[in-house]
Amino acid sequence: MAVHVDIDRCIGCRSCEVACQRVHGGSCHVRVHFVGGIASVPIFCHHCEEASCIIACSFGALFKEGDRTAFDVEKCTGCGLCSLACPFGIVWTDKIAEKCDLCDGRPEPTCVATCPADALSADGEAAPRGGQVRAGRSASSGGTR
Amino acid sequence: MIEVDPGLCIGCRSCSNVCPSQNILRTDSGEARRILWKRCREECDLCVEFCPAKALTLVPIDESVPEPELSFDLVACRICGSRYATEPMLSRIEAALPSDSRRDPEGAEWIRACPPCRRRAEAERAAEETVAARRRRRG
Repeated sequence: MAVHVDIDRCIGCRSCEVACQRVHGGSCHVRVHFVGGIASVPIFCHHCEEASCIIACSFGALFKEGDRTAFDVEKCTGCGLCSLACPFGIVWTDKIAEKCDLCDGRPEPTCVATCPADALSADGEAAPRGGQVRAGRSASSGGTR
Repeated sequence: MIEVDPGLCIGCRSCSNVCPSQNILRTDSGEARRILWKRCREECDLCVEFCPAKALTLVPIDESVPEPELSFDLVACRICGSRYATEPMLSRIEAALPSDSRRDPEGAEWIRACPPCRRRAEAERAAEETVAARRRRRG
């Protein structure tokens, strides 16, 4: 499970970043990047099948829960290894690690619900259009780009 | 007090983060990270328990022994040059990951790039794919 991005639809408004912050106490777990004036690309956690962040964590603070790469704040020491192990640079560590939880407990990720351009979807939703890129693409085979 | 095995310590942020008494001081300044374990008299072993490298042990206080202090060079990102990690942290991750995930298709080591540069690289790759798909659709 991951958030899909349809880059052809993304208008670069960064509403996904704001939505993420709104429900995560000010922390944002998505970053919109602008590439050469041709595209805006929100980068999300891929919830990799064999997640490097899980491999790097010595204390079981990161783990698989269904298709989700979940995070247990109580077990995190803030060592920073998960942030360095993420091939996509989408796990942060300040005092403790922070990452996308797919808005656990909500009917759908808040970024998906908020996107005014309808560029985001969760797995299993609308059929892919041309140009749609699965955020979790190759990471599922071990985190390679 | 705390004894540190300099051969095991990877210079991460665990012990300084979990110490409830601020007895472990970590400072990142420019090109180096310094960690100082002050002479600790607390009956507490959180730092020992939560050291991912098992580099710390508690030993009886000895005033003649200097407070342990280690300095780590911070590795420069191969793309932007910003200092983002200690070498033992990166080496530990490299050793732990499956060998096929350490390198991207171009052979460049993503792990030697800082997290913001990794995001930028992923965005550029995705944008290229999208532009290529647009061209194909237009014939």
